[in-house]
Amino acid sequence: MQLTDQEKRVISAIQGDIPVCERPYRVLAKRLGMTEEVFLSVLTGLDDKGMFRRFGATLRHQKSGFTANAMVAWQVAEARSEEVGGLMASFNEVSHCYRRDPAEEWPYNLYTMVHATSRETCLETARRISEKTGVTVYRVLFSKRELKKTSMSYFSQAEVPGAV
Amino acid sequence: MSIDDRDKQIINHIQSDFPICQRPYAAIGEALSMDEQEIIARITKLKESGLIRRIGGNFGPEKVGFSSTLCGACVPTNQIDAFAEVVNSYKGVTHNYTREDEINVWFTFIESSVEKIEANLAEITERTGVTRIYNLPATHIFKIRAEFTVK
Repeated sequence: MQLTDQEKRVISAIQGDIPVCERPYRVLAKRLGMTEEVFLSVLTGLDDKGMFRRFGATLRHQKSGFTANAMVAWQVAEARSEEVGGLMASFNEVSHCYRRDPAEEWPYNLYTMVHATSRETCLETARRISEKTGVTVYRVLFSKRELKKTSMSYFSQAEVPGAV
Repeated sequence: MSIDDRDKQIINHIQSDFPICQRPYAAIGEALSMDEQEIIARITKLKESGLIRRIGGNFGPEKVGFSSTLCGACVPTNQIDAFAEVVNSYKGVTHNYTREDEINVWFTFIESSVEKIEANLAEITERTGVTRIYNLPATHIFKIRAEFTVK
């Protein structure tokens, strides 16, 4: 989908943090040299086109009680990957589920992110997924240390023509 | 920090469909029977405490014309910090974690094209000496949920 320069400028403003004040969009619009009205209409347009995966607050998991997080890599017969992916996605403890091509010495093709309050419940969830799907070859990769976590900056304001 | 029921109500309400209107905090207040000032005060406090990391738009990279992937690298333990410093210096690396596995460093990469990602990974290998880096772009997304109900 081709984005207009104006849309890119609005994206550059709301990919960061929306201020907490009575008229936050007016503050953001001002930074772009745009009126609040135009800003809101462009933003509504982006929303209507389904550009947002999600528009709202992002929490820090560790602070919300989900202290054990693991990525589980599964080796699933390719013919079953569609069906199994759907089953895995139906687990409430699974926040993300993807299919990826396997690589050399890395035969896994389905990936789930599992969030739980303890390591044991994480492992227990993996066991339940395994039982329900019949997939027995998997590895649980607990996350240990966060090295970086940020939101993508797609269009920096300097890169977009017309931005102030 | 301890949060009360009203905080929880707010948190569970604003993770998706944050209002797009002149006074979004007043709109949230209306939905939850609280006034605008209370909403602003509580959200300010939740952000200061770190429970809310940010409020804003989250895009699927492909929707806005970008390519994304997940990379897993096998890095000698004593080189993890140096490796992370190089990897994290790329703007398109948004998440990076060490994990308990032989493939111990996992990061996401978003770039303007698949070729750009490949070129960056080759450059990372050159700069760090780490040769075993898997590039595992998703071919199918079954689920993405970044919302958590706070009970």
